[in-house]
Amino acid sequence: MFHQFSATAESLSKASSLVLRIGTDAHLYDDPDDVSIGPLLESRFDSEKVDALKRLLALLAQGSDVSQFFPQVVKNVASQSLELKKLVYLYLLHYAEKRQNEALLSINCFQKDLSDTNPLVRAWALRTMAGIRLHAVAPLVLRAITKCARDPSAYVRKCAAYALPKLYDLHHDEDNSSFEELVDILLNDHSPGVVGAAAAAFKSVCPSSLFLIAKSFRRLCEILPDVEEWGQIVLIEILLRYIIARHGIVKESIMFSLSTMSTTPVADGFPTFSGTSGNCQTLVGTTCDVNMITLMCKSYIDGQIECFAQTGCSNSNDDKLDLSLTSSTNDDVVMLLRCTSPLLWSHNSAVVLAAAGVHWIMAPRENIERIIKPLLFILRSCQASKYVILCNLLVFAKAVPPFFSQYYEDFFVCSYDTYQIRALKLEILSIIATESSIPIILQEFQDYVKDPDRRFVADTVAAIGLCAQRLPMVASACLEGLLAITFYESSLSSSSQIDGEAGVLVQAIMSIKAIIKQNPDSYDRVIVQLACNLDRIKIPAARALVIWIIGEYSVIGQIIPKVVPSILNYLAWSFTSEEPDTKLQILNTAAKVLLCAQGADSLAFRKILSYFIELAKYDINYDNGRMHHEPGGKILNGKMHSSISSTKSSRIYLPGSLSQIVLHAASGYEPLPKPCSLLNTDLTAGVVNETNDSDISSGSSIEESGSVYDSDHSSISSDDGNESVNDSNDTESTALAVRNDVQDVREKTLVDVSNVNVCVDDSNENTKGNLSAFISTDLAELMPKLALESWLDEEPGVSSIQTTQQASSGRISINNLNCTVTPKLHSLLDPTTNNGLRVEYAFSYEISTISSMLVLVEIFFENCSSEPIKNIALKDGESSLSVESSDQVLGESESLLRTANVPPVLSTEEIASLDPGQRVKKLIEIRFPHHLLPLKLAVTCNGKKFSTKLWPDIGYFLKPLSMNTSAFIDHERQLPGMFEYSKRCTFKDHIEKIAPVKDDSSIHSDKIILLSQILASKVLSNCNVSLVCADIPVSFNIDDASGLCLRFSGELLSNSKPCLISILVEGKFSEPLVLTVKINCEETVFGLNLLNRVAAFLQ
Amino acid sequence: MLQCIFFLSDAGEVMLEKQMTGHHVDRSICSWFWDYVLSQGGDPSMILPVIASPTHYLFQVFRDGIVFLACTQVEMPPLMGIEFLCRVADVLTDYLGGLNEDVIKDNFVIVYELLDEMMDNGVPLTTEPNILREMLAPPNIVSKMLSVVTGKNSNVSTKLPDATASSIPWRKINTKHSSNEVYVNLVEEMDAIFNRDGILVKCEIYGEVQVNSHLPGLPDLTLSFSNPSILNDVRFHPCVRFRPWEADQILSFVPPDGEFRLMSYRVKKLKSTPIYVKPQLTSNAGHSRISVLVGIHNDPGKTIDSITVQFQLPLCVSSANFTPNHGTVNILADKTCRWSIGQVPKGKSPCLSGNLVLEADLEKLHVFPVFRVGFRIMGVASSGLQIHRLDVKNTPSEPYKGFRALTQSGEYEVRS
Repeated sequence: MFHQFSATAESLSKASSLVLRIGTDAHLYDDPDDVSIGPLLESRFDSEKVDALKRLLALLAQGSDVSQFFPQVVKNVASQSLELKKLVYLYLLHYAEKRQNEALLSINCFQKDLSDTNPLVRAWALRTMAGIRLHAVAPLVLRAITKCARDPSAYVRKCAAYALPKLYDLHHDEDNSSFEELVDILLNDHSPGVVGAAAAAFKSVCPSSLFLIAKSFRRLCEILPDVEEWGQIVLIEILLRYIIARHGIVKESIMFSLSTMSTTPVADGFPTFSGTSGNCQTLVGTTCDVNMITLMCKSYIDGQIECFAQTGCSNSNDDKLDLSLTSSTNDDVVMLLRCTSPLLWSHNSAVVLAAAGVHWIMAPRENIERIIKPLLFILRSCQASKYVILCNLLVFAKAVPPFFSQYYEDFFVCSYDTYQIRALKLEILSIIATESSIPIILQEFQDYVKDPDRRFVADTVAAIGLCAQRLPMVASACLEGLLAITFYESSLSSSSQIDGEAGVLVQAIMSIKAIIKQNPDSYDRVIVQLACNLDRIKIPAARALVIWIIGEYSVIGQIIPKVVPSILNYLAWSFTSEEPDTKLQILNTAAKVLLCAQGADSLAFRKILSYFIELAKYDINYDNGRMHHEPGGKILNGKMHSSISSTKSSRIYLPGSLSQIVLHAASGYEPLPKPCSLLNTDLTAGVVNETNDSDISSGSSIEESGSVYDSDHSSISSDDGNESVNDSNDTESTALAVRNDVQDVREKTLVDVSNVNVCVDDSNENTKGNLSAFISTDLAELMPKLALESWLDEEPGVSSIQTTQQASSGRISINNLNCTVTPKLHSLLDPTTNNGLRVEYAFSYEISTISSMLVLVEIFFENCSSEPIKNIALKDGESSLSVESSDQVLGESESLLRTANVPPVLSTEEIASLDPGQRVKKLIEIRFPHHLLPLKLAVTCNGKKFSTKLWPDIGYFLKPLSMNTSAFIDHERQLPGMFEYSKRCTFKDHIEKIAPVKDDSSIHSDKIILLSQILASKVLSNCNVSLVCADIPVSFNIDDASGLCLRFSGELLSNSKPCLISILVEGKFSEPLVLTVKINCEETVFGLNLLNRVAAFLQ
Repeated sequence: MLQCIFFLSDAGEVMLEKQMTGHHVDRSICSWFWDYVLSQGGDPSMILPVIASPTHYLFQVFRDGIVFLACTQVEMPPLMGIEFLCRVADVLTDYLGGLNEDVIKDNFVIVYELLDEMMDNGVPLTTEPNILREMLAPPNIVSKMLSVVTGKNSNVSTKLPDATASSIPWRKINTKHSSNEVYVNLVEEMDAIFNRDGILVKCEIYGEVQVNSHLPGLPDLTLSFSNPSILNDVRFHPCVRFRPWEADQILSFVPPDGEFRLMSYRVKKLKSTPIYVKPQLTSNAGHSRISVLVGIHNDPGKTIDSITVQFQLPLCVSSANFTPNHGTVNILADKTCRWSIGQVPKGKSPCLSGNLVLEADLEKLHVFPVFRVGFRIMGVASSGLQIHRLDVKNTPSEPYKGFRALTQSGEYEVRS
């Protein structure tokens, strides 16, 4: 019933929208090419030309290339109709660079328009002329800009300023003077709008020519509030750079005061400093902000080293100090601060942030607080700005937490916030918490713990840990709360395996660990409590952590040493049922306990340890790869978040910059200029020498201070994370040594065990010096260079390996295994739409011998009617276009495809007649314009023509590339980073096929082979690649398919670049599996599209 | 500078591309972007606004089902990009009378022309709605009909707006009006958070002073409040002069013509809210009961209408049924429940009760939903902000002045 209602509602809304669409350009967007555009452009009537141009614009909007109309469009540039002109300009700007020669035709008209009486016409002509990017006319454009820069209309002058960067981008030589001259003229314009535009031009044309600002600095400051908002953003930045370069850092500013405190603890040399030093002391009292600020200054300013070198030695010489520093009473500084402060009220958040940035860097620190409230107010604008502001606030808050401590309410998380915003808010909250606000903040955190978003809950738990470390007074309260969460979560997670649940528990224990680490002696009870609840904690990673804690603190306090033996006994009892990573930690802990043990105990511990090792030997027989891989991997995963944030937090860029958001220097990012690098002509040349001298003299003191920041700057939880692994690495070397022996033995006896080792290269890259890397290198040597083929050869039932491509590539013979590769049939022409001819197509696995651009397609013609069909032929649908224009199309695509002379379809001969019911197969070769875009085709039969579209399948733009496993891994290594993309999807198809197979250990291997067959046939049916190998794991769990990895390789038809596909399986046979599809390919776009396609057909 | 702007539908279709500079950006960036969206859960409103793709930095703003995507390769203030995209969305909403996929496609020519005026070479050019309106006539019913009848359809002005040259670019030079009136409207949104113990954690007002002015000539207005000290934060339209505000907290301005947002403000630390919502969840042995009570707390003196309560059931709830004693409950596909109450009836307080069936192996609920509350009160500015007087100078005759107020819920949520 509801369906009906909704259907009516839908049709109603459609009808109403239809009414609303009358008089709009809707029909043009929907069917831009339903009439022939060429003749319309030649029409005598402006209205028809406008119509044609709108159609072209619609095609352009939809991504079609309509540059073939360029010659016809460019003629209309002379039109008197402004609307037509506007549309022509829109078109010209899009295509002119591609069609340089034809575009030259328009130049005369622009020249004429430039002297038109209507300023709008002049402005448009200038904008377009500068925008079409013709090298040949660059001198003309420069002349036009020079002329327009003195135009009576402010709008035209503004456009002249906008045109400067365009010209500069197109063509500039060493001699920048003509540009600078024009910028200078425009900067001195009396109209605020022009000044704003000139500022933008200044920034892109001559950003370092700050001397241009010098003479008009005060006027620019005064005009600043009247400049348009966008101009304000740029102008503020320029003025700030000027001040720094001209006058240096302000003595009273936060940048200077605190950094010198840290570099030169004896601040007696500064007479002006005493006034504020009291305040500074209170700031220094709060932890770690000094390092943060020093780091910040270092990052903000170019050549910062020199600047601090000067201050470092300035104790002895006050004169020098004055050269690189200025005081807040400097007129220019006062002026800039005064003129930017009302901008904190701007309704444009970018202006607010730019103005706030100036105050942050220049203002005396007691006046900085005025920027906090306006910044916080931006949090109430759109979500997107919220994120950017929070990223900037995070840096400010880290530098000076007290500024924000009273505004903690603004960082409370609400349900409207996205996950990233929540994470930032949590981080800020944990930084700004003070002794008075922490009870309220913790209360708030307690609410968050029950949030449905478990990722967020895990972050909250981490934040609680951070708060406890920062404010020791609440540590025990936090610890209690964390323990409660631990026990609560562990009781839950046993019953439900909801995603993310495990993360909360692991994070909780990690936070506990971090708190304990601060003061282990006072928390021995907590450790005992954790240990006693060990059997309730079911998640392996969490268990492993608790066991690690026990091992680490086994000699702390009175109680623990007493419980340790019974814990070890308990672990000995449970060892065999533990997950591999837990086992590793048990070994680790046993070894640690043994090392610390004395006297009689040590004997007992030695026994236990050797028992463990004995068990481990037996254990390793089953699963060596997992044993070695997952412990390091999983524990690291849990800590990934915090460790990433800590490495990134050391990267600081100017407030409000893009680089600060993406945390790397974007191209074009410039730190502030070196203080006092701009020397006025008044300043004598001697000054330069002096500064240089001081640089050299105090180089050493800087390096010292530099090292201080570097070493002391990583958040506590993260270095714990590494440490835990490193520790275990060190202490358990004995245990490992034993195991290595075991492995050697194993290698000889067990040849048929395959190891899954897909993440070898990852771990090698990322985890330098930690456990998993250590082990993986170990493994690489030990591992037999296995693969499916070696294994299949021994299995009588599966041994037949088809040799379509190459036997050695291990392509499974799917015919023999009763699951055929079935290329999908797609319908090209439906019998109902014509006289009964059905045309279908399927992609062929064969490779064209004519050109690498061609894809082979099998076409099936079938007569579904009762009468014979005559003269069936297949043609390229585009051939209706005029010969000339199609030539042009080809000419355009030539550069891309390099095969201009290959027509889109190499058609086959005509089928003279097709009897009823008859089915004929033809093979044609097609050159698709793009791997996603369809090719228009026309089927003619009985003299009629039916147009249709043939959709490409991206999987057939490949050809098989046979290689062995090691070659595959080599190739994979060569295509890291941006050439590697992965995606997860769920796979269900196997369930009904595998379900009938009984759960029996002997059939386990069959199941996994069956699964690999299903997956392989799925891939091979949809992509023209070859199977490299299928790595099959042998696991304890019969029902577990995790670790199965299939690898396929192919190369791109067009350029023979390799394209690697790997599919990693996780999950159980009886349930939908999670597949991680990974593609390594140099052609990013192709690879991503292929990835989507693979994920789509696997799903 | 922005190199290119794309408009994408919420299904990932590229509706429009506008290259801003000579360095063209290939469309494939959109498919990269969409893959990124899908990998993040498929909801464009939940992804980062600034993304570093392998080739470009992307700024994205999601509004009314449309993704506004801008690309750049060089350093520029990200807020500038985001703010510009928001401005584009605002201007388009204003021009097209709303924003959705169809309306963009139907008016793509105007969208192109607007984008071309709003940005040149990747730098914002003219974003002032008043000037834009003079350069490009918005499509309205009259022009649409005219175009159907006459076949002519030109919305491009042949004249440069005078305001481009004036020092007050937001206002036309010679505005002639038959009407002589100005309306001031206080629109406030109440943000509040109640914690799981039912205690008000945070309550503040985000308000806007919206002015609709139809005054001839160059009027000079002054607006003052009786209690400006309660304002915690303020932001102004460019027309507001800073000095009088700094000195006396008086808004002095030459208004643009038509509707605009004169000022936005925030009043923090309010002590009470007009309505209460009390959710209660109890659970044991696989079954949970939920009950939500709604009532009026501190009667604001005007009717509270459009009351809604919305919450999302936790994923572990497999089925639920609700019985309200007033209003209707809708359960959407993503387990979002929306209880529309309307007004609180006299003599009974609305109550929603229901049973939740948890997934098989769960004993009790361990995550709890957040209840979002919506309401509206006409005629009340909950912050208590009062307009003292509005003086209009420089007009031939005394204009009509109208004042209104409205409070509605903003980010108002009750945790359970």
